[in-house]
Amino acid sequence: MRSLLRQPFLWFLCISGALFVADARTSSQPEAIVVSPAVRQRIALLWETQMGTSPSANELESLIAGWIEEEALYREAMRLGLDREDSIIRRRLVQKLNFIAESDPVAEPEDATLEAFYESNIADYTLPERLTFSQLTFGEEASALAALDALASGADADTLGESTMLNRNYSYRSALDLNSTFGLGFASQIDTTVLSSWQGPYKSSFGYHLIRLNSVEPEQATPFFAARDKVVRDYSQANKKSARQRYVENLLENTEIRIE
Amino acid sequence: MKRTTIASLANHFQHSRQFFLVAVVAAATALAGCSDQAAPEQQAATAETEIHSQAVNLATADAANADRNAYFGDLHVHTMYSFDAFIFGTTSSPDDAYEFAKGGTVVHPAGFDMTLNRPLDFYGVSDHAFYIGVLREMANPESEISKHEIAAGMTTLGDAADRGRKFYEIFDFMQTERAPEINDPEIRKSAWEDIKAAANRHNDPGNFTTFIAYEYTTSDRDQGNLHRNVIFRGDTAPELPFSRIDSQNPEDLWKWMDSNREQGIESLAIPHNSNGSNGSMFALVDWAGNPLDSAYSEQRMRNEPLVEITQVKGTSDTHPALSPNDEWSDFEIMKLRIASRLESKPNGSYIREAYLNGITLQDQQGFNPFKFGVIGSSDTHNATYAGDEDNYWSKVGLRDSDGVLRGSVPLDEPREGGEVYADTYFNQWGAAGLAAVWAEENTRDSIYDAFRRKETFGTTGPRMKVRFFAGYDLPELDDPNLVARAYADGVTMGGDLLAQSAESPEFIAWVARDAMSAPLQRVQIIKGWVQGGAAQERVIDVACSGGMAVDLATNRCPDNGASVDIGDCSISSNVGEAELKAKWRDPDFDPNQNAFYYVRALENPTCRWSTWDAVRAGVEPRADMATTIQERVWSSPIWITPAN
Repeated sequence: MRSLLRQPFLWFLCISGALFVADARTSSQPEAIVVSPAVRQRIALLWETQMGTSPSANELESLIAGWIEEEALYREAMRLGLDREDSIIRRRLVQKLNFIAESDPVAEPEDATLEAFYESNIADYTLPERLTFSQLTFGEEASALAALDALASGADADTLGESTMLNRNYSYRSALDLNSTFGLGFASQIDTTVLSSWQGPYKSSFGYHLIRLNSVEPEQATPFFAARDKVVRDYSQANKKSARQRYVENLLENTEIRIE
Repeated sequence: MKRTTIASLANHFQHSRQFFLVAVVAAATALAGCSDQAAPEQQAATAETEIHSQAVNLATADAANADRNAYFGDLHVHTMYSFDAFIFGTTSSPDDAYEFAKGGTVVHPAGFDMTLNRPLDFYGVSDHAFYIGVLREMANPESEISKHEIAAGMTTLGDAADRGRKFYEIFDFMQTERAPEINDPEIRKSAWEDIKAAANRHNDPGNFTTFIAYEYTTSDRDQGNLHRNVIFRGDTAPELPFSRIDSQNPEDLWKWMDSNREQGIESLAIPHNSNGSNGSMFALVDWAGNPLDSAYSEQRMRNEPLVEITQVKGTSDTHPALSPNDEWSDFEIMKLRIASRLESKPNGSYIREAYLNGITLQDQQGFNPFKFGVIGSSDTHNATYAGDEDNYWSKVGLRDSDGVLRGSVPLDEPREGGEVYADTYFNQWGAAGLAAVWAEENTRDSIYDAFRRKETFGTTGPRMKVRFFAGYDLPELDDPNLVARAYADGVTMGGDLLAQSAESPEFIAWVARDAMSAPLQRVQIIKGWVQGGAAQERVIDVACSGGMAVDLATNRCPDNGASVDIGDCSISSNVGEAELKAKWRDPDFDPNQNAFYYVRALENPTCRWSTWDAVRAGVEPRADMATTIQERVWSSPIWITPAN
């Protein structure tokens, strides 16, 4: 039976038979093809988009003739049910319907809804430990140590350190950020329990650094207000998925499915 | 890695002002981190005052760094929707590509994991427009397109050789009159919609920027490569991308882009692999063979402000035959036309020569069709950026997934005739490159504006940073406000400087190393000028490592002695610089000449990817290939407009 199913000629017979029956059943007078002003405009616009200029009268005439022919063939193909056997058309139509199903009817969800969504997906809004600090860069360890002494005796940090492409102040940098900016192993040298006083020198790919931590944010959830934009995006993404799911479930509920 | 986004705080402040003060202070501190001058306390105090008066849009105005930050990305990435990538075994989607760029892991078709050691700042998936999604559909035995004769074998692709054959079969078919037979618009629309949606889904202002993009993959009649990536500014793009099947003529692409722009869809195109164009990318005639004119020049520059200078398929700065006096010109030269074994002729194929021809046209006819900036990118066909020598998976899936296939490690059995290595051109490919911009913040608008300003640079992979300014009253090098003052008093890369006196303007070239790569060896300025109708070029070292001085007779730094142990790829410690900075005047400056200047900076030598392959396989590196390379960065040029 399996090998029989693989015979293209057998398929051809079945399909042409089905088409014959379908054809016989629906041979009423076909609906007229109407070239409305809207159709004309659409055809002209399409030409314009592709060619960069609007079609001449002759061009428009032959475009319309082509459209009429295409429309007639399209209708006949649909009437014969040729679309039903084509998995590309099938997939394209499903994609279009998915798009409709996913389109979110609620423009701006209530904050309460968003907050609930945020709470149940809190891992997506959790930030690693982040350091906010000032740093001074020195080419030599000895100059870094001398500057540390000077700072201890009240020197102004703005007058110390070399001018480099590194920033003097960084905010909310994770260990990954720090290692990427200063070199592997840099983050682990910093004592995160010492705030507001200069520490170091710590070696990096650029030299030696004195660091003054202004604050250390522990690993924590981004507050809802700060995460709100991302929550809105994520919520709408998730909503599309569930809207599609509901749409499909609803469809399936109202469709008899027989597995034979 | 996630970071509090200043933009999201900013938006919040716009929506509701009666807010926890602590949040305001936090935001203000974050802003202070961006501009490195003001102390955080001062910024916080200002912010506090402003919030109390409730009179200002606090964060959107200040969140951006006026001195601009360097952001690194890849604008040339193929996924399963590209006809060739799919044949090569790539099943990674645009979503997978963006997840990878943000630090995630993607599995190579050969089975190993691909992960970056740190995320990128921006990424653009750029699949081939023609046959976009079609080959993937051919592999689905239920699809109509799988029944086309050219689809034969698509459901049962085998080894690297089999995939190579199928690639050339489709590639050849695409160049026949029958090409449109399989260019199914419905399949293409569906793939393109997914690509657009994925880009918009992953765009995260402040943290990670994506661009809707695609590749216009055309060529001339002799397989001279004319490929371009088209990058869209916004979150919408036309229903279908314009492809070579619409027209092989790049001037038609520009028309299409112009017409999109009139309808509010802004985009730019970035040519790549001019090295494989056989002289056609920067030819001095148009598609029809006529000499270039100002209308051509304007249209080209309106649509193509940038060119890709380096990528896996070689580097397009210059060629030893074109720049015989540049000792670093023989670098990652890819000799062939793209996807062929035909030689590509150097004339008309390299960027520096195009710059020279451009200023010559400017000098003689008053227009310059080659006044573009530069970026690097990878051209990966695995969905995954491939610019790290020691973390390299090349770019064509199962065809070059290990050292044997890419010709860096000997075959198990020598070929007929005794050849020890695979017969392939993948050994001519390199681990490169990165696109970089100076932009106020990591958002589409800010980065795209940098593309348009040509305030861009390209690297062969390391995240080196280059600043480049020219002007008549530039600050001193140790000025703590150097960048702000140089922006105010000069022009930066991508710009034009009007010659104002017989004196040379000042140039500041400032380069910082990548903290995770090798230190710097030297910074060079490359000058091109027109004298008596003839274009000339010169490479001038302006800053040397180890505090050494440039020999003014040769314009060269002394050898800094940096070396590489190719037994284990370790490099000399304590040689090379973290930063190099120079203020330079051109002793041969002539205010009546058209000229350009750009920066090239070199790292100390490191192992090439092929040497890493050999070390890991426990074999000797191949004798007929470079064992080490000097990774480098190129800035976009500054052009001099003559005084008269």
